[in-house]
Amino acid sequence: MKNAVSRITAILILVYISVVMLFIFFGKSGSSPIHNSTVSKKKSVSVSGIMNGNFGKYLAECVTINFPARDHMIKADSGMRSSLTENIVNGVYVDQKMLLEAEISERDSMKENARIINRFCSGYDGTVYFAAIPTSTGVYDSYLPEYLRKNTESMQINEFYGDLRENIREIDAYNILKMLNENYIYYRSDTKWTSYGAYCVYRTVIQKLGFSPTAYDKYTIDHVADDFSGNLYARTFYSDVKPDIIDIYRYPDGAEILSCTGYDNGMKSFSGELYDKSLLDSDDMYDMYLGEKRPLVRIRTTVNNERKLLVIKDSFADCFVPFLTQHYSEIDVIAPEYMKGSVKDFVDPADYEQILFLFGIDSMDDENLFDVLVTPPEERKS
Amino acid sequence: MIYSSLLFIYVFFPVSLLLYYVTPEKYRNITLLALSVIFCGMNGAAYLLFLASYTALNFGFCHLIGKYRKNKFIAKGMLTLALVLDISVIFIFRSDFFSAYRELMSIPEVFFPVGISFFTLSAVGTLADVYSGRTEPEKNIVYFALYMMFFPRIIMGPPMRYSGFRKMLRHRKSGLADIGTGLSLFVKGFAKKVIAVDTLYSLYNAASGVEIEKMPALTAWLGAVSFLLCFYFTISGFSDMGAGISCCFGFRISKSFNYPVFSPNVRCFTARWHMQVSQWFRRYVTKPLSSLCVKKIYRDIIIIAAGGLFGFWYTFDIGGAVSGLIWSTAVVAETRFIKEKQLQITGVLYTFILALVCSVFMSGGGLVYSMKYLFAMIGGNRLLADSQSLYLLKSYVLILIVSMYSAASFFRNIMVHSRRKKIQNIITALSPLIVLSAMILCTVLISYRGSSDMILLKM
Repeated sequence: MKNAVSRITAILILVYISVVMLFIFFGKSGSSPIHNSTVSKKKSVSVSGIMNGNFGKYLAECVTINFPARDHMIKADSGMRSSLTENIVNGVYVDQKMLLEAEISERDSMKENARIINRFCSGYDGTVYFAAIPTSTGVYDSYLPEYLRKNTESMQINEFYGDLRENIREIDAYNILKMLNENYIYYRSDTKWTSYGAYCVYRTVIQKLGFSPTAYDKYTIDHVADDFSGNLYARTFYSDVKPDIIDIYRYPDGAEILSCTGYDNGMKSFSGELYDKSLLDSDDMYDMYLGEKRPLVRIRTTVNNERKLLVIKDSFADCFVPFLTQHYSEIDVIAPEYMKGSVKDFVDPADYEQILFLFGIDSMDDENLFDVLVTPPEERKS
Repeated sequence: MIYSSLLFIYVFFPVSLLLYYVTPEKYRNITLLALSVIFCGMNGAAYLLFLASYTALNFGFCHLIGKYRKNKFIAKGMLTLALVLDISVIFIFRSDFFSAYRELMSIPEVFFPVGISFFTLSAVGTLADVYSGRTEPEKNIVYFALYMMFFPRIIMGPPMRYSGFRKMLRHRKSGLADIGTGLSLFVKGFAKKVIAVDTLYSLYNAASGVEIEKMPALTAWLGAVSFLLCFYFTISGFSDMGAGISCCFGFRISKSFNYPVFSPNVRCFTARWHMQVSQWFRRYVTKPLSSLCVKKIYRDIIIIAAGGLFGFWYTFDIGGAVSGLIWSTAVVAETRFIKEKQLQITGVLYTFILALVCSVFMSGGGLVYSMKYLFAMIGGNRLLADSQSLYLLKSYVLILIVSMYSAASFFRNIMVHSRRKKIQNIITALSPLIVLSAMILCTVLISYRGSSDMILLKM
C-alpha cells in the first residue's frame, strides 16, 4: 500500500507542478505590472551578471512575476500571516488605518551620497537647498509595534544634513510633517506623501527660496481618483485599508503653464502636462503627477520674473513641483533615476541662481543614483 | 538558486526530472552532472568556476595520494598539502578574521561559496580515506565531480563517505515510488523552512533587537527559543529538501536529524543531532586522536575539544566553539556521573535548557553579550515581562506551539505507534492530499518574494 500511495503522491504533485510550469511559460502574467516592484530596473543579461549570479536572480524574478494567480496568492499570504502572527506581511505593517514599511533599513549609502552632492555643489555659485523627505514610516512610527519605533528616519536625515556642506540650506521637512500627522499627508497604501503633505512642506520651502507661499484657500482641489492603491498595497494586497485619494491643486487666478516639455536621454522633446490625467488609467496612478517619467522636464510659466530654478528630485517631488510654478518663469526638473550619462549633458547648473534637491529618504540611500551629478560625460562612454 | 524558491520548484526541478528520466540509463550520471553545473552556475559563474577548480584540485590530490600510497613520505606530504589548502580555503571564506585576505585576492565582498562548510568536510574526509586505504582513489572525474557538486547536496550537505556515494551512483534504482517518497520529504523540509523558520526568525529579530541591559526575561526566552528552533529547522529543513530531491533521482540519503530538540537526555540529543556531521567529526577527529591515548581522562578531553570544533564549524566564531564545548562537557559529565535512570520530564527539561544556553552562544554577538543575555534570561534585569514581550508572545504563541510540537516526535508517533491500524491507514491514504496542500500553502507563503533564502548561517 505504501508504494501505491507514494506513486499517487508522485503523480499528483508532478501533475500540479507541470500545470503550474505551463502557466508560468505560456499563461498570462499572474500579477499586474505595478506590482512588480521586486524587479529591479538595472538587472539584465550581461557578462558580469552571469559572473555574479544576477542572471540567476533575474530568471527567478521572471518566474515569480509570471507565477499564475500571484495576486491572489499574496492576498492569501497576507490574510494568513496577519491573523496567525504579527500584523507584518512581507515587511509591511498592515493595519486598517494605514500600511507602513516595517523593514527598517540602515541606509548605509547616505554618507557616500552626501559626499557626491557636496562635490557637485562645490563648483556652483548659487544657493543650494536640500529637502529630505521621510517615508510614511518615519512620520507615523507611533503606529508600529514598540520594537520598531526607533526614530531612525529622523536621525538618518539629521546625520545626512550634518554631512552636507555648510552652504547647502537644509529644510526640516521631517518635523513639519511629524507635527501635521493628524492630517492626510501620506497615502494609506504607499510610502509617499499626498499633495497636501507636499503643500505643507512647500510653504516652508518657498519662503526659504524667497517668496511668500500661496494660501491654501486660493486653490481649488479636484479629487481625480479615489481608488489609488500604492506600493505597500502591492506587497500585501491587504484590502481592509481604504484606497487612497489623488488630488489636483489648481490656482485659477495664478500664473498659467505655458509649456511642460519632457526630454528623453537623447534630448528628444515630448510635450507633456503638469497633471497627465491619461495616466490615471495606468498601473501606477501616482505617475499622473508630472506625466511620463523623463530625465528632464522643462516647465515654462506666465510668471514674469525671468527667474529659473533647477530641481533635482525623485518621485516625491512629482506632486510638489506644481506648487512651485507660481513663482518662477522656468523650472527645470531633473530625475537622476531616469538619466543616463551626466547632468551636464542636459543642463548647465551655472544658468540657475537656485538649485533645490528634493528626495525621499529611500532614494537618498540609493547607491549610484547620484553618480550622474559628478560623472564627466567622457567617462560614461567607456 | 535555492531549493525553497519558485524558480527551483516549478521550473528547474521538473525540467531536471524530465531530462533525467528521458536520458538512457548509461548517461544519467552525466545528465545529473550537467544539471548540477547549471544549478551552480545560477549562483554565478564565479561560484561555478570556484567549485570546479576546487573539485579538480581535490580530485588530483586524491589521485596522487593513491598513486604514492606505498611511499609513506610522499603520501603524507601530499595529504598535508591538500588538507592545508582545503582548510585554509574554508577559513578564508568563513572567518571574518581573514577578510583582509579576501580583499588582498580581490574577491568581491558578496561572493560566498554556498555550502563550503559541507563540501570541505566531504573533500577532507575523502582525502583521509584515500590516504588510509579505505577508499580507492576515483578514476572517473564525472563521479567525483558529482560527489562534490551534486545539486541536492550542495547547499546543506549532508557530508557522506565517498565509498557510500559511489555505491549509490553505480547501483541505484529510481522510479515513480521513489519520486513520491522524495517529494513528500521535500515538502516536509520546504514547510519547515517556510512556515517555521521564516516566521520564527522575525520573532528572533524582534526579541534580540531589544537593548540587552533592559531586556525582560520573557523576551530573552522568546529570543532564545526562537533561535534554537530556527537553527534546527533551517538545517533540518534544507537537509530534508536535499534528501528529498536526491531520492527522486534514486539516491537514498539517510536523514540528518531524528527529532533531537526534546530528547530525554543530553547523550540522546547528541545522537540525534546532525548525525552525518557528528559522525564525520567522530570518524576523522575523535577516533584517530583517541586511539593515540590510553587514559580515560585524555579521551574525555579529546571528546570535549572535538565538541568545541563541531560548534566552531557552525559559526566560525568563538561563540560557536563555546557552545560546542559546553555541550560536549555536558555529554562527558552525563556519561560519567549520571548512571541511574531519571524521570523523563526532568531529562527533557534540562536537555532543552542546555540547548537554549548553547543557542544563545551560537547566535553570536560575542561572549560578553551572550553572558548578558543569559543574565537577562534568569531575570537579572529585574524585569520579567513588559508590554512588548507580551505582545510578541501573543503574536507568536501559535506558531511557537506548532513548531515545538513538530520538533518533538509527536507527529511521527501518531504514525508509527498508533495502536489502531485504521488511523494509520487513513493517514497514509490521505498523505498525497496532505503533501499537495502543504506544497500549495508553502508556495503561497513565498509568492511575494519568490523564494525563502534566509539561511541563518552562511555555511
